[in-house]
Amino acid sequence: MKEVFAKYSPFQVDPKELEEAFGLDENSFDSANESEKESMVEMHKSISYWADAWRRFKANHVSMVALGVFIVCMLFAFAGPKFVPYNYADQLRNAQKLGPMEYSKQEQQIKLIEGKCKAFYATALRPGSITALDKGNYVIKKGGKTYAFTLDQIWEDAVIMYMPSGIDAELIVVKMKDIVSDGSFITYDVVNYTDTAAEDAEELSLVKRVFPHVFGTDSSGRDSMVRTMFGARVSIIIGIIAALIVLIIGSIYGSISGLAGGTVDFIMMRIVELIYSIPEVLVVLLLQVVLKDPLQAWFDSSKNPFVKGLGDLGSGIVSIFITFALLYWVTMARIVRGQVLQLKKQEYVTAATALGASSRRIIKRHLLPNCVGQLVITTCLQIPSAIFLESFLSFLGMGVSAPMASLGSLCSDALQTISLFPYRLIFPAIILTIIVLSLNLVGDGLRDSLDPRLKK
Amino acid sequence: MLLYILKRLLASVGTLLVVLAITFFLMNAVPGSPFITEKSTPEQIAAANAKYGLDKPLIVQFKNYLVSYCQGDLGVSLKMQEGTPVTDIMFHQGKFQLSIKLGLIALLVSVIIGIPLGCIAAYNRGSGLDGFLRVVTTVGVAIPGFVLATLLLVTFAVKLQWLPTISGSLDNVKAYIMPIISLSFYNTCYLAKLTRTSMLDAINQDYIRTARAKGVTTKSIVIKHALRNSLIPVITFLGPLIAGIITGSFVVESTFSIPGLGKYFVQSVLNRDYTVIMATTFVLSALVIFMNLVVDIAYKIVDPRITLSSRED
Amino acid sequence: MMEDNKKLIEIKDLKVSFFTPAGEVKAVDGISYELGYNEVMGVVGESGSGKSVEAYSIIGLLQNPGKVIGGSITFEGEDLLAYTPEQMRQFRGNKVSMIFQNPMTCLNPVYTIGNQLMEALTVHDSKITKEEARARAIEMLEKVGINNAEKRINQYPHEFSGGMRQRAMIAMALICKPKLLIADEPTTALDVTIQAQILELMKELQKKENTSIIFITHNLGVVAEICDKVSVMYAGRIVEQAKVEDLFYNPQHPYTKGLLASQPRIDEEEPERLIPIEGTPIDLLNPPSGCNFGPRCKDCMKICLTKKPPFADLGDGHISACWLHFKDLKGKKEE
Repeated sequence: MKEVFAKYSPFQVDPKELEEAFGLDENSFDSANESEKESMVEMHKSISYWADAWRRFKANHVSMVALGVFIVCMLFAFAGPKFVPYNYADQLRNAQKLGPMEYSKQEQQIKLIEGKCKAFYATALRPGSITALDKGNYVIKKGGKTYAFTLDQIWEDAVIMYMPSGIDAELIVVKMKDIVSDGSFITYDVVNYTDTAAEDAEELSLVKRVFPHVFGTDSSGRDSMVRTMFGARVSIIIGIIAALIVLIIGSIYGSISGLAGGTVDFIMMRIVELIYSIPEVLVVLLLQVVLKDPLQAWFDSSKNPFVKGLGDLGSGIVSIFITFALLYWVTMARIVRGQVLQLKKQEYVTAATALGASSRRIIKRHLLPNCVGQLVITTCLQIPSAIFLESFLSFLGMGVSAPMASLGSLCSDALQTISLFPYRLIFPAIILTIIVLSLNLVGDGLRDSLDPRLKK
Repeated sequence: MLLYILKRLLASVGTLLVVLAITFFLMNAVPGSPFITEKSTPEQIAAANAKYGLDKPLIVQFKNYLVSYCQGDLGVSLKMQEGTPVTDIMFHQGKFQLSIKLGLIALLVSVIIGIPLGCIAAYNRGSGLDGFLRVVTTVGVAIPGFVLATLLLVTFAVKLQWLPTISGSLDNVKAYIMPIISLSFYNTCYLAKLTRTSMLDAINQDYIRTARAKGVTTKSIVIKHALRNSLIPVITFLGPLIAGIITGSFVVESTFSIPGLGKYFVQSVLNRDYTVIMATTFVLSALVIFMNLVVDIAYKIVDPRITLSSRED
Repeated sequence: MMEDNKKLIEIKDLKVSFFTPAGEVKAVDGISYELGYNEVMGVVGESGSGKSVEAYSIIGLLQNPGKVIGGSITFEGEDLLAYTPEQMRQFRGNKVSMIFQNPMTCLNPVYTIGNQLMEALTVHDSKITKEEARARAIEMLEKVGINNAEKRINQYPHEFSGGMRQRAMIAMALICKPKLLIADEPTTALDVTIQAQILELMKELQKKENTSIIFITHNLGVVAEICDKVSVMYAGRIVEQAKVEDLFYNPQHPYTKGLLASQPRIDEEEPERLIPIEGTPIDLLNPPSGCNFGPRCKDCMKICLTKKPPFADLGDGHISACWLHFKDLKGKKEE
């Protein structure tokens, strides 16, 4: 066998190499000390679970893009309305049924004024409602000065203008019919102002430019883009709240069931099975109808701002939350229970039990942190399902109540006029699809990066 | 096996009872009665209530429902088609058959297209085809059913006029195309995604390595070893899928003006037609619960590890 | 052993790397050995030493991102690395088969034991009839000591105990009468008593069927049971290779010595204190330029920090890669 080994190069001692090694240094065969030994080991930093998960998530380009898209959608929904001078509830007179990027006649006129003399400001009196102004006290703050004035007549079809320079008056009212086609106007009324605002004065914001109706307007003259923004906001909020409800109920129920085991577990799981076989949609629909009146009564009587907020969303949405709380947590409960059963067998839990830790402590300290990955994934994927359910209910006419909008209600409102105004369906539907799509992709990415079993 | 099915059937009856009880008491939790209209006088309402037994204590009413259901009598409609027996409306007017037919075709389409697509994607993982399928299926599960249905309707029926606008009674094959697509698209995509994931999961299992070590061909590994194992989670989804198809049928039946059970149920809820609500809930729940039972038995066939008595572990 | 001096398998300077996002991991970094017919070789090392990776590359089961990047594997004179995937498939299970660590997960849960055994036959012999295959499967199950094989063959894996599943795995691996069996920690997941039974069975079958075995384990006790010679691996390299008696009674490499000292021995009259090897294995992403074991070696010298040690031939097939063997040589030279 000796010859056999001698044939292989690594087995063979190359005399040259040996010479070289011997000649290296006088002390090369002296013992190395500890610090020298340590210096040759270059351990890479061990990465924490979350850092590792984040690294893997980052490597997943699709999910990263989806996350980016979702963040953009969040900005669209939550910050977007700040940049649009319209409100979801304001019905612009004469601006009904506009197509994307179109202007109403008045808006075109104001644009003309803008084009004519740059120094002029057109004011949108009350965001959105350009042309009608009630009687009352108003205030405009501009250039460090306060312009407070009182209108003692209703101005129909007119616009208030602030003129820092130019004509003799700084604040004027111009009737739309006095504006000629080149943007100049025939007559105007001077508004007298003081510099102290009355207590009940309504502040008017100055808008230099007429903002385009990017998505058009609906049949009541409401700006579709701002409604879509609010709709996206409502849909996302519904999704998140519903997912949180599912998360809380499901994980508590599941971990109790899994941890208790025995008869308790058996009964709890039979309940889960029972809920599983209940056709959810039937119950959702029934709940919608049944809860409508009592909820409305509750909203009306309560002074709690939170309840009022819910009231704005409408009873339909609250019913959705109740449905989620009643029926949709079962999947989460099953997942958590499965995880708990698996983890319960692990030694560290046995150790904790042996040390006399209470069940509560075991759940909190040992079990939940270990199934957090699964929880995050399931919660994330629950959001789209809630958004879907809401849009389904909106389709049946049971979603958010007008004038509040959700993406689903916008889509279903658009259905009646689909052949005339297809874009009314297209815009909210695309946003809805993008939100659901990005959440699904983020969820998939989370699954890949958080679930250690899939680690390659 | 037989014992198991019997036990499950018994449990199903229990579930059905619970669903009916929930429905019944929810329905009656709202004050008033279905007969209140703008014009009706209190006397008329009282008379109508008495006529249909709505003046009796709730528990007695509930008992009456159960007793008549056991006798195969679903009651008479209180409002929508006043006085007509619900069985007539559902079965003789063909609502039930229509919905079942649509639902089954959609289910078949989803399974026949979805599962092979998932396998193809998993088999060609990382390829362009896989990427394409991933995009389609992910977008597919992100489009609400009614949006898809409406878009189909507008595009193919209104604009292009290739297909009939109103599917109505579904008397020719063309009429089925759009409702079936709308009903099965989401589920097909979901099934394809699910199959792909579970297939990839199965491919990473130890027994696949064993099969490879034995020298089994790649084709046989995918078809024989991976597919059957990956079908287990897919079957789990079939229960919710059937419920989903019923949900979808509400939308599809409204969009395409199909006089089916789904549309009928929604109308009955909106009209507070108590007997119809109870009857449709009864029929639809029985259907869903029965399909869940079928799914559980399918489990046993695919996965020998599952002893039917304890599915949990 | 080795009446026939022909080599069954010969591995030369095999290098396998995993290309991970964090960088290249040299899981196997230039190992060489050969195995004769009817010979049993143990490959010992701690987890991550590359012993399984080396085995997988023989049988062509390396998974992405693993890749053979150098060296050669010659089986009965044929270059395995040049095989096409189809040739490799024909080769697997037929000439070389493998059994794995965890019998609980290595059998397909949805097919009967018989089905899986017969599959191993039919994939390599399309002409075999179902009855023949079945008869062979039953015969094989009986051979591995499964009672009532006629009935057992129709059962599913979950109806078998862990030990029985491993027996079935062995039956499946040997059903095509392979020349080489690679056993990757086949007893690790089993109870100690079952372990002994399985080892006994493997020893017996090895003699009966004239199969060579590469036995991968981290358990030196198991090696002593069954092997003719042993390779000790550390961080992707073989550090010492010897006949089994030589290795146990005359270990030369500090790592082998450490391994032996850390294992309980029942043959010693005075129970000795077990001495663990200090430290953890090196990070294969950034291997040191010197000896891989250097950082944990209590006899580490200055040269060990900078140069990888060559093998010293200690006679009778006993080789060891350590600079310590050359220390004396240097001393002699200077005198």
